[in-house]
Amino acid sequence: MTSAPFRSIASRLRWGVPIVAAAVVASACSSANSVNVQHNKSGGGAGGYHYKIAMVTHGGAGDSFWSIVKAGGVQAGKDMGDDFTYQSNGDPTQQSQLIDAAVNQKPDGLIVSMANPEALKAAIQRAVAAGIPVVTINSGQAQSKAYGALSHFGSDETVAGQAVGTGLKQAGVKSVICVVQEAGNVALEQRCAGVKSTLGGTVTNLQVDNNNLPGAQSLIQAKLQADKSVDGVVTLGAQVASVAEAAIAGANSTAKLATFDLNADVAKAVQDGKILFAVDQQPYLQGYIAVVMLTQYKANLNVLGGGLPVLTGPNLITKANAAAVLKLAAAGTR
Amino acid sequence: MSVEVTEQPPPASESGSDAPMLEIRNMTKTFGSVISLSDISTTVRAGKVTCVLGDNGAGKSTFIKILAGVHQPTKGELFMDGKPVLFHEPRDALDVGIATVYQDLAMVPLMAIWRNFFLGSEPRKGFWPLKRFDKEKAKKITREEMRDMGIDIRDPDQPVGTLSGGERQCVAIARAVHFGARLLILDEPTSALGVKQSGVVLKYILQARDKGLGVIFITHNPHHAYPVGDRFLLLKRGKSLGDFDKSDISLTELTGMMAGGAELEQLAHELEQEGDTETSAIGHEIAADIGTGTTS
Amino acid sequence: MTTTLERPPAQPQPDERVARVSLARRLLVKPEFGALVGVIVIFVFFSFESDVFRSMEGAANWLDGASTVGLMAIPISLLMIGGHFDLSAGVQVGTAGLATGIMTTYWGLNVYASMVVSLCLLLFIGFINGFLVTRTGLPSFIITLGMFLALQGINLGVTKQVTNTVQVSNLNLVPGYQALKDIFGSQISIGGHKFQIAILWWIIFTIIGSWLLTQTRFGNWIFASGGDPNASKNVGVPTSRTTITLFMLTSAMAWFVGNTQIIRFSTIQAQVGIGQELIYIVAAVIGGCLLTGGYGSVIGASLGALIFGMTQSGIVYANWNSDWFKTFVGAMLLLAVLANQFVRRLATQGRR
Repeated sequence: MTSAPFRSIASRLRWGVPIVAAAVVASACSSANSVNVQHNKSGGGAGGYHYKIAMVTHGGAGDSFWSIVKAGGVQAGKDMGDDFTYQSNGDPTQQSQLIDAAVNQKPDGLIVSMANPEALKAAIQRAVAAGIPVVTINSGQAQSKAYGALSHFGSDETVAGQAVGTGLKQAGVKSVICVVQEAGNVALEQRCAGVKSTLGGTVTNLQVDNNNLPGAQSLIQAKLQADKSVDGVVTLGAQVASVAEAAIAGANSTAKLATFDLNADVAKAVQDGKILFAVDQQPYLQGYIAVVMLTQYKANLNVLGGGLPVLTGPNLITKANAAAVLKLAAAGTR
Repeated sequence: MSVEVTEQPPPASESGSDAPMLEIRNMTKTFGSVISLSDISTTVRAGKVTCVLGDNGAGKSTFIKILAGVHQPTKGELFMDGKPVLFHEPRDALDVGIATVYQDLAMVPLMAIWRNFFLGSEPRKGFWPLKRFDKEKAKKITREEMRDMGIDIRDPDQPVGTLSGGERQCVAIARAVHFGARLLILDEPTSALGVKQSGVVLKYILQARDKGLGVIFITHNPHHAYPVGDRFLLLKRGKSLGDFDKSDISLTELTGMMAGGAELEQLAHELEQEGDTETSAIGHEIAADIGTGTTS
Repeated sequence: MTTTLERPPAQPQPDERVARVSLARRLLVKPEFGALVGVIVIFVFFSFESDVFRSMEGAANWLDGASTVGLMAIPISLLMIGGHFDLSAGVQVGTAGLATGIMTTYWGLNVYASMVVSLCLLLFIGFINGFLVTRTGLPSFIITLGMFLALQGINLGVTKQVTNTVQVSNLNLVPGYQALKDIFGSQISIGGHKFQIAILWWIIFTIIGSWLLTQTRFGNWIFASGGDPNASKNVGVPTSRTTITLFMLTSAMAWFVGNTQIIRFSTIQAQVGIGQELIYIVAAVIGGCLLTGGYGSVIGASLGALIFGMTQSGIVYANWNSDWFKTFVGAMLLLAVLANQFVRRLATQGRR
């Protein structure tokens, strides 16, 4: 097998190199282009606790929500001087295996999110039996204490859904599409159910794929065109919210938009009035507080919550406070 | 079965030339520890057919692959028109006019006949970057060549896979001839064919020869080789049993050398001893073939 | 007792016989035809279920969904005809958009220059895919699966490293954006209704792709490399060069689609494209491409993408229960492929 074909391709590619170099040099690396600020790891606090804290969640790898939770945990680890690790898997069986793996490394504290509590019960109880303090975040509030966790930090999805339903009802909305971007996700289904319970109108779920946002836009737009009576859209993730915004415009619809979770684009849209409000459960705080509490428990046997879950939301972002939140959202901490 | 041929007078061009079109001298090929060919020599002249005979495992396919440029000889040399040559890839062999028609035909079954015919040598028209495959020309030439061969195609776009075995062989040979091959190498063209189709293919070999091409005809069937061959190279387990001119060897001698005359004699003897008449008649026939050297 | 061998006389019959194959038969046999039948059936079906579906607005909607898949289905079908798969095609779309976005909005490079650099990056990825496939002889399925996983991690890791989030946004704020938006992300008005410009690009590239496949020498090489790579090599077809070029074409289109996405939405997130690679393959198969290579059609693949887009939107317009969405899509696709096969078998029966 000779190298002739590669030589011929390489010789053609050789043309590309000077062109690219010229393009790069000719274009100014101007500051007018860098509209985003590069984020390097910020300096941390001087805490010297040196505890090993492990977090195992059910978040997907590219999920913006969970990346904020992780950011909170990482920062708290720095501030406390702890050794923080993060693992995640959306599949309950695999998440359970990750918990076991973490337990084998004998951490000083374990943080778990329970989207499917039953599947994780055994692994969590093994952790508790091994003497590791466990804290749950985000999902599984009802079973947290029963499984032996010290505290739960999160926002009840149903309560958050109800808040959204109420907010939309006050805005005069009667018929809502609830856009579910991850099929089979328990928390998302609970949000839609919560909306339905307080809206007093109709709520229809619409499945889209978070990994194919242009496709999602088509589908939302199609639904709005198909059913002209819809006057409200609820999205359950920040990335889908932007797309829903475009879909509403594309369908020439006057539907109002509300969303769960936050990112810079959502904050901006709320500020501009394009999104009515966003419900933020402060994922950064969930991650941060969990690490801090475990550190304080190990150091000082402190427990937060008094046996009841500690709520980090629902926290409404409206036009009034959007501007202030925007910069923080751009930094990836809100 | 054998086919008798009335010899055509040799074409004038051949008699004067001294250097053969292709000469193979002491060719050896080893793959690791396996000696595929050992010290093989033969020549091919324009307008003549050289037959390479041997049973399975004799090294025939390695021999062709070296001539076609797929492999390079471990030892020994190739000379074209008296000048030494070495082929690094099939393209090199094609460029000097050596066209190989493989047993598996080097045809893509799903593609139309005209696409296969011009595969690797597509005619083009137009200007860069819109240089197009000249399909009209390709179809026209293909249709003409097929008509000349007497092959009936109802639809020029039909895939090659729908033709019969003999027809495919003829397409392949016609392709090689059309593209100005000087030397045609045919790898067991009649092995998978019936009697009538084999006859058709042998006819085309002679036509190619008459056009002035040199032909190397590889086969394990001496009855097919003898009528059309001018020179015979016998291979057995990688070694040469001899390189003979037609005038120096007869069909029965050829068959005998290939089959291993001693084994056949023994078989004939055993069969003749058999009780029933049919089997012993067969034994008589074989004995007659190898024993007395009659031509039928 | 000798038989003289003579050249058989030229027979005039084949000429007349050629005309015998009817136009209808020749059309039916073409790989695109089955896909076209599928398009018509699905269009009629959903038009009954919903009048919005068959309106201009509806058409703009399902054409939009179709174009996203259709653009990538073009080089994927060429590659499949050439005998290979590229499972990293979906994720490369993300790499392209993220690369342009990061280089411009975080590192300050001029947006046109970023696009040129990200094109070179994608062509390089395509070259690696092709190089590994031709050098190692391993199935392209495996090689590109490895590339898929590697890029999935790279897309996320690099984005997180640079932006601390999982997306790159705000492309609309950079100088030079508006011109790009007009070319890649704008809408054209036809009869008062807005159609995404990507649909036009899709049609243009389909024509180019189909021309490349059927009217050029390179197209002949694609068919041959896919149909029988050994036979092709033996007659002098540069199969390695063909394969590498096909992988690079796929990557170039991934660059186009990825940049279109970040320009149109002004934002792109790290997980874009994952899962889409199978949809591109399905579109190509509906369009008549054999999984084993050597046969197929670019126009067919585009029609396959159209079927996908119409099905997706049609289900929503028909107000079917959204939870069963994936099941419906899967069933419709199976039906489309079976219909295509049935039509083709009908047409080829009775031939020799």
